Amino acid sequence: MKIKLLAATVLLLAMQQTYAQKTAKDSSSTDSLMKSLSSDDKAEPVTAAFKSTMLILTPTTETIKKKNLNFMVVHRFGDIAGSQGGGKTLWGLDNSSDIYIGFEYGLTDNLDIDFGRSKYEQLINLGLKYNFLQQTTDGSVPVAMTIIGQTGLKPYHVTTTVFDDYTNRLNYFAQLILSRKFSSRLSLEVAPSFTRNNLPYPFLVGNGNNIFSLTAAGRLKLTKRMGVVVDYVHPFSHFRRNSNSPKFYNPLGVGIEMETGGHVFTLNFTNAQAISPMNYISDTESSWTKGQYRLGFTITRVFDLNGKHKGTYK
Amino acid sequence: MKHIAFILLAWMHIFQTGQGTFVSKNAKISLFSKAPLEDIDATSTKGTSVFNAQTGDLAFSVPIHSFQFEKSLMQEHFNENYMESDKYPNATFKGKVQENVDVTKDGSYPITVAGTLVVHGVKQNRTIKGNLMVKNGAVTMTAEFVVMCKDHNIDIPKLVFQKIAESIQVKVEANYNAYKK
Repeated sequence: MKIKLLAATVLLLAMQQTYAQKTAKDSSSTDSLMKSLSSDDKAEPVTAAFKSTMLILTPTTETIKKKNLNFMVVHRFGDIAGSQGGGKTLWGLDNSSDIYIGFEYGLTDNLDIDFGRSKYEQLINLGLKYNFLQQTTDGSVPVAMTIIGQTGLKPYHVTTTVFDDYTNRLNYFAQLILSRKFSSRLSLEVAPSFTRNNLPYPFLVGNGNNIFSLTAAGRLKLTKRMGVVVDYVHPFSHFRRNSNSPKFYNPLGVGIEMETGGHVFTLNFTNAQAISPMNYISDTESSWTKGQYRLGFTITRVFDLNGKHKGTYK
Repeated sequence: MKHIAFILLAWMHIFQTGQGTFVSKNAKISLFSKAPLEDIDATSTKGTSVFNAQTGDLAFSVPIHSFQFEKSLMQEHFNENYMESDKYPNATFKGKVQENVDVTKDGSYPITVAGTLVVHGVKQNRTIKGNLMVKNGAVTMTAEFVVMCKDHNIDIPKLVFQKIAESIQVKVEANYNAYKK
C-alpha cells in the first residue's frame, strides 16, 4: 500500500512538472497560435504601384476608383535647345507643343472611362481602362494587368487636306500594361500597344496604318512622396526607322513625381512633342541629341464624388 | 487512496488540454482622427487575437492593409505615406491581463492590460484599460485608446493639403471562441 501511494505521488508530481512546464511555455504557445492564425490570411492585393494613372508618356496600371473623378492637365513646352530653343524662346517656355486636358471617371474600382483633348492635331479621345488582374502580396499573382482601348478623332483640317472624310480622321489605340511593384520604392511596367490611324499619319508615301509599339517605364521613390520616373516608347515601324525626311525618333522621358495629398505633379523632360500615345507613337520627329527636348508637367487631382462622408467609427 | 490518485490524475488531465485559450479571427478595429478638412476614419474586421485565460497572456494583430476607408485616396495615403504598410504590414499588441478573471462565470469585468504596442514598426510600452465580458462561455473584449503619431514615428509633412491629426483614437472589439485543437 505504501509503495503504491509513493508511486501515485511520484506520478502526480511528474504530472505537476509537465503542467508547470506547459504554463511556462504558454506565452510562446500564444505566439505560435497567433502565427498560425495570421498565416490563414488570404493574400492581399498590392495597391498603389504608381501614384497616378499616367507616368510621363504612358498610362499606368492604376485606375480611378469608383465614383472618383481624376482631372488632368498635361503640358509640353517648346524645344529647350536646338534651332527652335535657346534664349529667344526662353528655352522653350514661350511655346507649347502640346496641352492635354483630361477626365477619368471610375465606373467601378477597376474600370474607368476616359475623355481628353489635345492641342496636338486637336485630337479628342474617348476610351475605357480596365484593371483585370491585381498583383498580390504573397506573390501568387506577380504582376498587375490593365487594358486600355481608345478611339481618337481629329475634328479639324490640320496639316493635310485629305481629312475630308470623317472616317479618315479616326484613330484607335489599344494597350496592355503589365506592372510590378517590386518594393514600396520600385515599380516597373511594360506595355505592348497597337495604334491604328485610318489615314496613315503623318500622311507620307510608304507610311502604314498600323503601328505596334512597346513601352518600358518605371518609378523609383526617393522619399515617401517624391520619386524619379523614366518612360521609353519604342514603335516598331519599318517606315519610321528608314525615313530620312522627316526623321523619326523614339520618345523618351525622364522626370520627377511629387505627391501632395490629392494632387500628383510630374515635372519632366521629353523629346516627344505630343502627349497622347496616338500622336507621339505616330509622329515624334524631335531628337534629344539635337536639343529638341522640352520641359513638361502633369498635374492630376482626384475628386471623390461618393457624397458626404458618413463616418464608420461607432 | 488509489482512487483518489486516479481522480487527481484525471482532473490534471482535463486541466491540461489547453482549456482557457480563446481565439478571435475577426476582431474589429476602428480608427478615428479629427482633422480640419474632414474626419478620418477606417475599420478593419480582420484582426486576430489569442487570449490565454489561465496566464492572462493576450496578443493582437491586425493587417494595416485591411483597414477600409470610405475614400479610396485616403486609404492609399494611409498605407503608402503614413503607415508604410509594405514595410510594416501589421500592427500588434502583446501583453498580459493584470486581473485574474474567471472566464467560467458570466459577467462583465473591467481589465487592465500591460504590454507592448507595435505600430509602424515602433514599440511602445502601454497600459490599456478595457472590458472583458463573459456570456455563455463566449468572451468579448473591448478597449479604446489613443495612439500618438509621433510616438510611432508617423510623420505628418508640412506640404500636405489633407492634414491629419496628431493623435488617433483606436477602438477594439474582439469576440473570442474557445480554442479547439
